[in-house]
Amino acid sequence: MELLLQTLINGILAAGIYALVASGLALAVGVVGIVNFAHGEFSMIGAFVSYLLFVSAGIDPLISLGLAALVLFSVGAITYYGLIRPVLAAPELNQMLLTFGISVALQNIALLVFGADTRVVSTSYQGSTIALGSISFGVPPFAAFVLSVALLGALYWFLGKTRLGFAVRAVAQNRLAPGLLGIETQQIYLLAFGLSAALAGVAGVMLSVMLYASPTVGFAYTLKAFAIIVMAGLGNLRGVVPAAIILALAEAVVSTYVPGGGGWVEAVFFLVIFVALTWRSWRVR
Amino acid sequence: MKKVLVVLLAVLGLAGLALAQTTVRVGVLLPISTVAGKAALNGVQLGVDQVNAGGKVKIELVVVDDGNAPAAAVPALTKLMTVDRVDIVIGGLASGVTFALSGPVKQYNPLFLCIGAASSVVEQAFSDYGRFFHYHPWDYHNVAAALGFFKALYDEGARRVAILYEDGPFGSAGIQTYRQQLQNQGYTVQAEPFKSGSGSFTAILTRFKSFRPDILYWIGYDVDALPIAAQTRQVGLEPKLIYGAPPAWPLGFEKNSLSNDVAGMTAWLPSVSNSESRRFVTLYRRKYGEVTDEYMAPMGYVIALSLGRAVEAANSTDKDRIAAELAKVQMDTPFGPLAFKPSDTGRTRFQGFNQSIWLQFQYLEGSRRPVFPANRAARPLRFPGNY
Repeated sequence: MELLLQTLINGILAAGIYALVASGLALAVGVVGIVNFAHGEFSMIGAFVSYLLFVSAGIDPLISLGLAALVLFSVGAITYYGLIRPVLAAPELNQMLLTFGISVALQNIALLVFGADTRVVSTSYQGSTIALGSISFGVPPFAAFVLSVALLGALYWFLGKTRLGFAVRAVAQNRLAPGLLGIETQQIYLLAFGLSAALAGVAGVMLSVMLYASPTVGFAYTLKAFAIIVMAGLGNLRGVVPAAIILALAEAVVSTYVPGGGGWVEAVFFLVIFVALTWRSWRVR
Repeated sequence: MKKVLVVLLAVLGLAGLALAQTTVRVGVLLPISTVAGKAALNGVQLGVDQVNAGGKVKIELVVVDDGNAPAAAVPALTKLMTVDRVDIVIGGLASGVTFALSGPVKQYNPLFLCIGAASSVVEQAFSDYGRFFHYHPWDYHNVAAALGFFKALYDEGARRVAILYEDGPFGSAGIQTYRQQLQNQGYTVQAEPFKSGSGSFTAILTRFKSFRPDILYWIGYDVDALPIAAQTRQVGLEPKLIYGAPPAWPLGFEKNSLSNDVAGMTAWLPSVSNSESRRFVTLYRRKYGEVTDEYMAPMGYVIALSLGRAVEAANSTDKDRIAAELAKVQMDTPFGPLAFKPSDTGRTRFQGFNQSIWLQFQYLEGSRRPVFPANRAARPLRFPGNY
């Protein structure tokens, strides 16, 4: 029973960072209609922003969260304006090839600038633990979970309670009609893509605390984020958190209860994509 | 008239020196964007400076990046062989890359001075190639050195080892043998695979809790070092020693308090106190303004120096004559004595170092300190460590 409880807590806490990465991706897919393969590289930039601020100015990564979000919002906005906007009317394959190219380019730029080495930040709370009886868990994953819940709550509030949020949702539902009502579609796209990148950047900062900064740090999380948004339904923001929790719990259960399960963890999200797509295809028959 | 004679003599002297000097072009094929690759290149260049300063041999380097990937390394080697037309190549740091190079190397037939590539899969791949000089110990040497350390830990009271191994070729290749050898020493062993880079260890570490391991031994990569150190504490595993065997450690890990008491294995540290090591540290600091603790730097240095000796002895640029002289080289190095012998399995003819160069270190107060074997230890091992 104790092991099961610990496994469930491990899974739920892991879902925090998954949801943070996936919600940004869901925003890009749902509002702009772009499947952004470079989303993980935005997280990688966030991780390096955190690392650079730490080594150059000794700034704690939690303090650099805001700055990383701003930097990544700018990176996302520039990427949208310079690269994504010209291909919005192009076939989806062209768009995907473009974002795949951006992903490769960003990874290689990071390789040129930082090299292939793994870099770590050093904070006083990285190994800190919260113990509840015989159950224990780390402060960083707990903080990442709380941060995810807070940010996603703010995002849902923004989308559900503000005029700008209504405009974003309107554009997500119909690309043409909001324009007839005076909503600047291009600005909404810019905002959504910038927010998407900013969320990835915040996730990247947390990754620098919990894992490391390296040119490939975002890649594994992009794959998981794809599994999550597929399970949630492409572009469905409200489904992201439950889907992230299901995926993370599945991973935790497989790791804990399946012999040699640590090696099977990566297979879990491919299985999730497979099951979700197959189930959907049967449902629409 | 006197002046004319002096100038004439000087010119003749220089001409004589030039005639006596043997010049060889050497290709260097390394992953220069990685810390280990850059350190290796620095070491090679430092060694070449020493050789060239001697005046009898001049080594010219042609450096190319192998990208730490077979897809980049094979074309880079092809360029060295067909465009730069070198006869000697220093390279082969990563096992996977070196394995991929085995075919092209046999096609172009250079004298291949291999700096890394510990996997015995590489030994197998080069088993029929007579111009292959492997300086780095093989993986079975690494295992033998680690087992020596584990024997000492057993004597200290350790009985249970939990092994976390990454599920790729690096981590899982020899795991069954390794497990068996630890059991032969009297250990109870529990081993679990993991996906390197996933950062998710809490589930496996939680399962290890009921096993109550004395030693948590992980075989993986630098990306796993911090998550394992952090999550071991987060789940309250409390082993007496965390022992890691990655090819490289993360940058800045030593400054992180979670690294304290984590142990590992390396072939060299700047604090190693033999005269060649001290000389290397002095020269390295003078040239680069810093000290490295990457053992690939002295490894590159040793390769360049040994090559210089062989070229000087051969007095020729012919690769087979140089290889014949290199096979006879005996010299003191920062790692200890170097002499080439057939490998322990007999598959390759020219093996430089063996398990004797390995030493165990522990992260203590922000740096790596040698702790085992006793004759090379700068500090006693902290066992049990505080995790």
